[in-house]
Amino acid sequence: MSLKRMLRILCGFYCVMGIMPLFFGGTDYIMNILIMILIWAVVASCWDVIMGFAGIFSFGQVAFYVVGAYASAILSVSLDIPPVFSIMMAGVITGLFGVLVGLPCLRLAGPYVALVTFAVHMTLVPFLRGPLGRAIGSGGSQGILTIPPIELFGLAFSSEQLVPFFYLTLSLTIICTLVLVLVIKSYWGTAFLALKDSENFAASLGISAFKYKLMVFALTSFITGLFGALYAHYVGMLSTKMLSMDVFTILMIMMVIGGIGKYPGVVVGAVITVTLSQLLAPLGMYRPLIMGAIVVVLVLFLRDGIISPIIRILSSWQRVGVEEE
Amino acid sequence: MLLEIIDVFISGLINGSVYALMAVGLTLVYGVTKAFNFAYGSFYNLGGYFAWTLLIPLTIIGGYFSVFFMAIPFFFIVGYLLEKVLISPLRKYDDWEMKVMMLTLGLSLFMDFGYQSIFGPRIKSLPGIIEGTVQIGEIVLFQQDIVIFILSISGMLCFGWVLNNTRTGMAVQAVAQNPAGAQIVGIPKDFIFAATFAISTIMVGFGGILLCQKNFVDPMGSTDIMIKAWVITAFGGMGSIRGSLYAAFILGMLEAFVGWYFGMIHVQIATLTLLLVTLAIRPRGLMGRE
Amino acid sequence: MRKTGLLAIIFTLVMLTTTSVFAADTIKVGVPLAATGAYAGSGDNYWKGIDMAINEINKGGGLLGKQLEVVRFDSQEFAPEIVMQGANYLCGKMKVASVHAGWAGWGQDIRAYGKYDAPFFCDDGAMPAVEVYKSDPEKYYNTYFITDTGGDQANSMFNMLTALPYDYPNKKIVIINTDDAWGMEVGDTLSKRFTKIGWKVAKRETVPYGTNEWGPILTKIRRINPAIIHIEIPSSQEVITFFRQFIKQPTDSILSYGWSITPLEVLTTLGKDADGIVGEMPAGMPAPKAPNAKSQAWVDQYMNIYKHPVPAGSWIAYTSVMAWAEAVKAVGDEYDFKAVNKHLKDVGYDGLQGKMKFGENNTLHAQPAAPIVHYQVQDGKLVALFTDPPLKPYGEYKFQVPRWIKK
Repeated sequence: MSLKRMLRILCGFYCVMGIMPLFFGGTDYIMNILIMILIWAVVASCWDVIMGFAGIFSFGQVAFYVVGAYASAILSVSLDIPPVFSIMMAGVITGLFGVLVGLPCLRLAGPYVALVTFAVHMTLVPFLRGPLGRAIGSGGSQGILTIPPIELFGLAFSSEQLVPFFYLTLSLTIICTLVLVLVIKSYWGTAFLALKDSENFAASLGISAFKYKLMVFALTSFITGLFGALYAHYVGMLSTKMLSMDVFTILMIMMVIGGIGKYPGVVVGAVITVTLSQLLAPLGMYRPLIMGAIVVVLVLFLRDGIISPIIRILSSWQRVGVEEE
Repeated sequence: MLLEIIDVFISGLINGSVYALMAVGLTLVYGVTKAFNFAYGSFYNLGGYFAWTLLIPLTIIGGYFSVFFMAIPFFFIVGYLLEKVLISPLRKYDDWEMKVMMLTLGLSLFMDFGYQSIFGPRIKSLPGIIEGTVQIGEIVLFQQDIVIFILSISGMLCFGWVLNNTRTGMAVQAVAQNPAGAQIVGIPKDFIFAATFAISTIMVGFGGILLCQKNFVDPMGSTDIMIKAWVITAFGGMGSIRGSLYAAFILGMLEAFVGWYFGMIHVQIATLTLLLVTLAIRPRGLMGRE
Repeated sequence: MRKTGLLAIIFTLVMLTTTSVFAADTIKVGVPLAATGAYAGSGDNYWKGIDMAINEINKGGGLLGKQLEVVRFDSQEFAPEIVMQGANYLCGKMKVASVHAGWAGWGQDIRAYGKYDAPFFCDDGAMPAVEVYKSDPEKYYNTYFITDTGGDQANSMFNMLTALPYDYPNKKIVIINTDDAWGMEVGDTLSKRFTKIGWKVAKRETVPYGTNEWGPILTKIRRINPAIIHIEIPSSQEVITFFRQFIKQPTDSILSYGWSITPLEVLTTLGKDADGIVGEMPAGMPAPKAPNAKSQAWVDQYMNIYKHPVPAGSWIAYTSVMAWAEAVKAVGDEYDFKAVNKHLKDVGYDGLQGKMKFGENNTLHAQPAAPIVHYQVQDGKLVALFTDPPLKPYGEYKFQVPRWIKK
């Protein structure tokens, strides 16, 4: 997809999102959904950049998200650091954590990266619940219950006032999305394409797979950590429940629906997944049942997710329009 | 004190045999077909629900004997169809490994909540295969644990033997090592994939029946089993049956001794730290090969 | 090309707005319970009680002449944003007149529903939730805890254990509890109380959920041979496997299961094997014979509908719906939340077991009309030995020394 087209889709998406509060500002229920869509869209985008684009088979995305959330929560609760700074610090910490995880495993073949990153994910649960986690202020199994809201220019941003928080999230989302787009379309992006096509040939041209993978890993971890931290200050409480397979699966569904490696696709995937999950909520246990079936069908029949057929239909409309003129 | 250590050692053996039972199907499928089955735990539960349906509402004649007898064709067909319908169509893509993981993740969601909507959210218990205990001096053992111990080890060893010493087993290994090459020399690759998947599904089904009658049939238990099986296969080396067997007993012992000496709360972190350290040093696990 | 994004959003909007169809002649009652996930079993217990109450009211002509309509929400495993979503959906969008939640979280629920005014009944039973309430009682004035916290229940367990008509052979206790707020609270309180009267806490083990192999712990317990083993794991699997492995080579110990005796599966699975275990249920219904004819009729009706004994949570969830309905009737307007809450707090409710009132921290502390009931399993059934407060023997039921204790 060309840079222009990608930007147009994203721009259209965020413009529409931006005017949403005009209609729904008073309905907390929908505002909450919109905020979660924004947060998930970025987290899933990061995963898409890692998996679909850089070809790193990482299962650690949720772990990074949780590390960011806990880091900011602990910093602001235990050390009284203002949330604005603690969120930035959480991003940096998560980025470093990403490098730490990436160093041993990014040289390995695909499935082994999945093994190590998923092992990190699973280790976080007993770590945060156990005595070690309690020692650094994770609150053990009950988690952290009193995370302060973000204060900026004398305004408090939290789940109490959803509209301001929505715009805060939106602006952060736009910045991070631009960064991700730049990465995809920059020299890095080209390097990855070369690596994906032929790693040996790319290496002979002096492209170091490891270096680029580590850089992308660090960057996406940073962004993911940032949004994890944002989420922590949004809901005001955290527990290790975030590491359950639920979140992992939901993120995975977003990618499947959006199409892996079809970049803005995953953003649409996030919108559809969150909406669908909400719509199906009254069905109770049939909700996950249907979601599961959707994933199976999509993987089998829509290999590039839902965005490619949509684009095809839309461009055929455009063509019809042009022909009529 | 010595008696206590023997007691803990036995707990370790029991843990180990349960883990071996959990991991055997996963490692076999991965070893041959390179398909990582995320719905693994759900198939495990299928074993439990299969036995429950036959034993409790249908009160089948012959008890467990009939259950095991009927489980063989049932799980073979389930496994075979699963491979043919859901997994083999994906194999033509270059990123099929990832697609298989996603598909089976969706499948596990579908299956788990399918059980919940059919059988209800509460746990079910099965009658024991054998009740009763054996006493050796001061030490008391469940006959059930002995059965699981023998079955899981002999099952794994038999399987390893078949793989290494029979023509079919070698064909399976050939496909595992080089699918294209195997096809050139006339091994029906697609059939081997499907058959391996089917056979491993039988093993999973049996494991599920054995373990569910020891503990429970829990509709939400599949994630736990998936993760435990996954830890063992990763630790032992993906695809290495012998590695999984060692890993199961090492982790079983670790769990028993850490739980006894330091307390149960430290078991998980100890296990996962061992896994992380092992993977950092030997990414392919204890016995894994490329 | 921006049509793609646009389409997706329009789709979202259309779907979200079309779901809110209003019917004005009913009163909506919000029921956020765990319908999926690890807590679906306990969610089911509360649901049965709530459903029974709603049907009863509707059959009797409804509330203020209007039928009650249940709006359910699946709170899954109580992830904070899901709970928040539930509050926004039920109170914000569906405008329910009250929320009956059962176990709903450990504080995130108080925050989420505290934003609104509709009475919110929950059975969180742990200190962190109460701490959230205490941080701003005025804001969270619509929160009602329908049972005591773990600490208070543990005090009652201590009183019961020391009052048992049984001579303990030694003064050693082993306490096993889960690693969550509930388990820790109970474990801490018990070990404090027992240490104070000169007992020795010979082993305190905190275990994660999902522990099914008890070998190493039992090895230690056998060497200690304590007078009491207390297990506090609010989940059936772990306590059943513990018992099976314990009984293979038992020690001369009273098995005290605390709240863990109440999950339905414990008794249906173990049956008469479980005879001898003691345990408690907060805001419980004494059994096998209920304290009065009214209660007995209720128990019979329950057994008639659901074909199993009353599990923890059912009765009190039923009662809280009734208490709210009573308050609405007195006030005359289901949406006058201020008045309904005031009535609930000031007047209380005349329930099946007598007049009950919410006390400090808006908690329905144990009281004669909603007692903590201590049971022993006898002949495969829960038999009430004591009710608390005040701690007194119940009916003519007698404690039996467990069969595994050598005389």
